[in-house]
Amino acid sequence: MAYPMLITVSAGIILRLWLHASTLGEWLSDKNEVSTPLTSWKRVTEGLALYKAGVSPYSGDIFHEMPLMLRFLHYINSLWGPAIYIVFVFTDFVTAIVLERIAKHCGRHLLVEQKKNVKTFSTDAQKILVKSSDLRYTRLQVVAIYLFNPYSVITCLAKSTAIFNNLAIALTILYTLKGKRSKACLSLAVASYISMYPIMLVVPTAIFIARQEVPEKTWTSSLTYGSIMQTLLCSCSALSFLLYYSYCLEGSWDFISSTYGFILSVPDLTPNIGIFWYFFTEMFEHFRLFFLCVFQINVFIYTVPLSIKLRDHPVFLMYTLITIMAIFKSYPSYADASLYLALLPLWTHTFSHMRNSFIVACMFIACSVLAPVQWYLWIYAGSANANFYFAITLVYATAQILLLTDLIFAFLRREYDLVHGLKPQVNGQPAQVVLS
Amino acid sequence: MAPSMGLRFLLSSIIFITLNVCSLGLFEDEFHEELFIKPLPTGHIYTHFQFTTTWEVELRRKDEFLHYHLFPKALGEVLAKFSVQELHLTLTQGLWRHEKWGYPLVDAPPGAELWVWFQPGTSNVNETWTDLINVLSGMFCASLNYMDAKNTVCPKLSFRPRGATSGWFSKTSTHLLRYAALPRENVCTENLTPWKKLLPCGSKAGVASLFNSIKLYDTNYHSLGIHFRPVCTNSDCTSTSVELSQTLSAVLEPTIFNHGRQDWSLKKLFGRMIGTVCPVAQTSTIFVDVTSNKMSNYQFTLNPAPNTVENFRRGRTEHSYAIYDIRQFTERSRVLDLSAKYNQAITYSQVAPPVLYVHRFQTGSGREKGGIVSLLHNTHPSQDLVVVYMEVIPWFLHTYLHTLQVDTFTAEMTHIGINGTTLKPLHLHYVPGKDRQRPYHLELVLRLPAKSVTRLSMQFERALLKWTEYPPDANHGFYVNSAVISAMLPDDTADYVALPQFSARISAILSGNESLSGRQFVNLHTETLLVMLPTPDFSMPYNVICLACTVVAIAFGSIHNLTTRRFTAVDPTAKGLLAKLKAKLPFLRRKKEGKEKGASEGEGEGEGVLGQEDTGQSEATS
Repeated sequence: MAYPMLITVSAGIILRLWLHASTLGEWLSDKNEVSTPLTSWKRVTEGLALYKAGVSPYSGDIFHEMPLMLRFLHYINSLWGPAIYIVFVFTDFVTAIVLERIAKHCGRHLLVEQKKNVKTFSTDAQKILVKSSDLRYTRLQVVAIYLFNPYSVITCLAKSTAIFNNLAIALTILYTLKGKRSKACLSLAVASYISMYPIMLVVPTAIFIARQEVPEKTWTSSLTYGSIMQTLLCSCSALSFLLYYSYCLEGSWDFISSTYGFILSVPDLTPNIGIFWYFFTEMFEHFRLFFLCVFQINVFIYTVPLSIKLRDHPVFLMYTLITIMAIFKSYPSYADASLYLALLPLWTHTFSHMRNSFIVACMFIACSVLAPVQWYLWIYAGSANANFYFAITLVYATAQILLLTDLIFAFLRREYDLVHGLKPQVNGQPAQVVLS
Repeated sequence: MAPSMGLRFLLSSIIFITLNVCSLGLFEDEFHEELFIKPLPTGHIYTHFQFTTTWEVELRRKDEFLHYHLFPKALGEVLAKFSVQELHLTLTQGLWRHEKWGYPLVDAPPGAELWVWFQPGTSNVNETWTDLINVLSGMFCASLNYMDAKNTVCPKLSFRPRGATSGWFSKTSTHLLRYAALPRENVCTENLTPWKKLLPCGSKAGVASLFNSIKLYDTNYHSLGIHFRPVCTNSDCTSTSVELSQTLSAVLEPTIFNHGRQDWSLKKLFGRMIGTVCPVAQTSTIFVDVTSNKMSNYQFTLNPAPNTVENFRRGRTEHSYAIYDIRQFTERSRVLDLSAKYNQAITYSQVAPPVLYVHRFQTGSGREKGGIVSLLHNTHPSQDLVVVYMEVIPWFLHTYLHTLQVDTFTAEMTHIGINGTTLKPLHLHYVPGKDRQRPYHLELVLRLPAKSVTRLSMQFERALLKWTEYPPDANHGFYVNSAVISAMLPDDTADYVALPQFSARISAILSGNESLSGRQFVNLHTETLLVMLPTPDFSMPYNVICLACTVVAIAFGSIHNLTTRRFTAVDPTAKGLLAKLKAKLPFLRRKKEGKEKGASEGEGEGEGVLGQEDTGQSEATS
């Protein structure tokens, strides 16, 4: 097991280092699917130049990273200079290792939970129970998909700062799986500090840690409640500390309107792979605030029903929330997709019930190939217009949504099958299992 | 009754005359009208009308701004109300080509440009600026109301006060300065008419009677200007007066109508001749620059002959102006049609460029990114020039300061673009822009080496605007303001005569008051740029909203189903509610029975029957 892993990781690193030596990185850092106004390296360079010149980067509308990120990037830029791509390759390497750990702990957690609940399963479900031999290759698959996924390679080459965001989210998942509350809350606070949306992940983290600490109590017991409140308090205080420290460094709260305010109010309509930009370009001014609120609430609202439905499966809940974030956030990019695609092998036991996998795969490939083509036709050749690129973003969003809903369906269906057996019968006839 | 009537008439006329005499003494204002004509080596004629009103009131004393004589009341009230220290407004159509034509007396960018210094003690400068531009917009029939916060900057290094101020004021009070320009503004007769109304005689008498809109707006370049500033009353500057100078510059090209001869006359240029003098003008003069007659064989003779020809020295060049006192030429109902005849047709040749000239253009392809490049030429053989370069870039072109590059190419390098030496600016002032709030403002102080071309380049990214923010002609493009270059030219600059600091009158050039060191201030404006932005499809708002909401609804609907419903096992052969209802209707039941009979005959199996039985069963159990 160690040798294939070592070979995969080395190959991933060598691939990135080799591609960084070419001009591919420069070409990619201009592509809007990879670089958004929040994560673009060109904007970071501008922010650092303004910072060095003594002008506050938040006085303009170019730089949208948080103050601590600004200082961190300033530090590594002064340290590494033109060789800064090494930092990005290293971050990818660390993320791959963290994902491997996640795969290991998730597999172990899955087996433990299965063992706990096996009494409630039907006898017929023997075939679909997860065995540890099935999980043997999950870790390798996760690392291989992350390192060789074109989306993550492109993100690394383009020096998008979403890499740090991915690392923070991966660490949150890892520490949650390990059951370490303080570390999980700290990495969650860092993830939501950098980009606002991961704050949603406090719900699955709280649920998981409550389940770990109070395994036998019901949801309404005060111990569970206490555990959840403790997690919430821990992450909120960590986040407030980070924000207060930024305020002390900056001397004012101006940076909030340039970072969180920017994410929420979407003033910059630069095209990207999401659905916000064209929607708000063509929005009637009258309704702009209403639809802005609708779209932002849309990102967060799925937490409620999904947490209630998936309260017994917090890891899967976390995964679905990460996917929803990647689809519906205001400035998505390929980096967000690379994270949840890398963790897809964790659920291979549910793949037999997935219905749309071929279509989704084709849609992903078609979008990735056509997006730069339509961009070129619109912006450079002038023979297409914005609608072509918009269509690609719609198809990409639909592909991700189909993938997510298919996966949730397959997961819930497998849960039903575990309890009711593979061949349920009604009135002696083979029955259909439908949602109703 | 008659004698008392006569007495009454005498009394009132005595009072009237006394009052007039007294008022003349009370209102210490004077009005001068001047016309300056200079033939340019490229075959153009540069004409510059200068109307200067000087009024001995203290700027700070608003109570003195109540009784108006020659100073226009409409403008004076506005200036007093908004506590304006200096105001400079120009409305221009066309580009002044510095490389070919040298320097004008008043430089102006294409479109509208307004810069105002407010008096110290003005409480809310932004609000006062907004009110002022709205009032001026109405006054001059120009869309100056677009000069809001999105367009306005507060220059720190350029646009120092032109009038009499204290050094303390200009160094510490830059927050009182506002500058805005509208490159897209068109100038037409509607702007000329209110401008003419500000003159004491309007356009009915004097030099202003030459204003013929048809001829004036058919020119290569024309510019209207209003310049208001305080000036020193005497050489000790113990008191200040206010000076209003209204300028109209036009560049015409007589050679295209005269078969290559640069002959011109007032009738040919303006379609009119001067018949009267403005009665309230103290002086009414025409100056013709005859310096070029001494330089070469290509000479012109003036008809009628001038009153005097005065020579004066600027740097190493001796300039001579032919002066006409219009009053003398128009007394006894004579008409002055000044004309010049050249001894030969023009030879178009290489024109020596002036000491400093600038070209600016944009680079890049596609509607995503781009760059702005300025080439500053210093043609002086030995002296370095220190210039202040100011650029205002609209907010929708996101400019990156870290891409600013300043390179110098000396005369040995034939191609601009390879191996320039980096020039470090002496000072940099940069205010990054904010979307929909503020433009990008860059000011640089550069030392241009002698005989060099300095290239200043910066990259920008084009923003996608909201569909309502595009003008009706979205694919025309968006204009970028001219860059402004301010410099003090060295003493030995040939062929540039600037208006002196202490007076805007052209006759002040000849006054021989050489209190200046010989260095002259020059202000250059570059070309404006037309930048294309990516446009959305304007016909699509409803469609886009529907499609995007559909995608969101796919997610919402699916997740809603998955989270609110449970998996249940159902009998696949059991009929749903609708089918049960249909089964109850007798008409459909008979039709179905007929179909089933046919099916059972065809297939010969009992499934249909079974189905019916099942229906019966499920009906019984449901």
